[in-house]
Amino acid sequence: MKISTRGRYGVRLLIDLAEHADESHVPLAQIGERQSISPRYLEQVAVLLRRTGYIRSVKGASGGYALDRSPSEIVIGEVLRVLEGDILIVDPLRPGETESPLQRCIRASVYDRLNARIADVLDNITLASIIGTVDPDESYMYFI
Amino acid sequence: MRISTRGRYSLEALLFLALLPEERYASTREISAQTGISDGYLEQLFILLKKAGIIRGIRGPTGGYLPGRDPELITVGDILRSVEGSLAPVACIASGSCPSESECLSRHTWDRLYREISSCIDGITLADLAAAHQNQEKPEFAL
Repeated sequence: MKISTRGRYGVRLLIDLAEHADESHVPLAQIGERQSISPRYLEQVAVLLRRTGYIRSVKGASGGYALDRSPSEIVIGEVLRVLEGDILIVDPLRPGETESPLQRCIRASVYDRLNARIADVLDNITLASIIGTVDPDESYMYFI
Repeated sequence: MRISTRGRYSLEALLFLALLPEERYASTREISAQTGISDGYLEQLFILLKKAGIIRGIRGPTGGYLPGRDPELITVGDILRSVEGSLAPVACIASGSCPSESECLSRHTWDRLYREISSCIDGITLADLAAAHQNQEKPEFAL
């Protein structure tokens, strides 16, 4: 029941880019150093995030990456769906697949509910709320 | 971010035990026949569940297992934790495990997620599951 390394690193990559948004772009090597993540691994994550329109790459010798959307439009649930494939707690039922009454009951009472609560939390956290650039009253960071 | 088969099979086996008539218990063989979960796998899970007090065993040739306490007092969280270990969505959440704990911004997100997961599964008891199963299996009368 874990978020994968890819998911965790992707979120840290986006946070780092948001924190350095004043620079036109940031080389992955710098982010790797600041975040203690291998640049080669970051590159893999960056490719996925670029392909899905979250970040853009700047080519050239001093190239790097920058956010391609406003932090308030980057929803963590969506980012994790890109990086993790989905954010479900069990495999969804395949079409035509049937379950025993016990399994059906547990799916409805536990898995479906858990999936809904997880999606609800992660779809209400934006990159802006993480770095604290939103109205404090709406930011979960002030939630105790 | 999946619950492992250990967790899923444990929930299924526990629900099966909770649905047994009062004073009844079931052997892993019976549970296996009803759920399709292998006998040997159930034995492995039951060692952990027994240690956690979630089930108890009745010895003897006609022995078997039953819930270790009132199903009202066994939560889905209890069951999952005893076979899956920590349910934290990231390992670094345990305090003191990360040197950048104080300045890590993503930590808040994982922390919030962990609290939500915990509160969800700690709020569902085995008795709730048994009741939901009984409702589900009640024949519906169409109007």
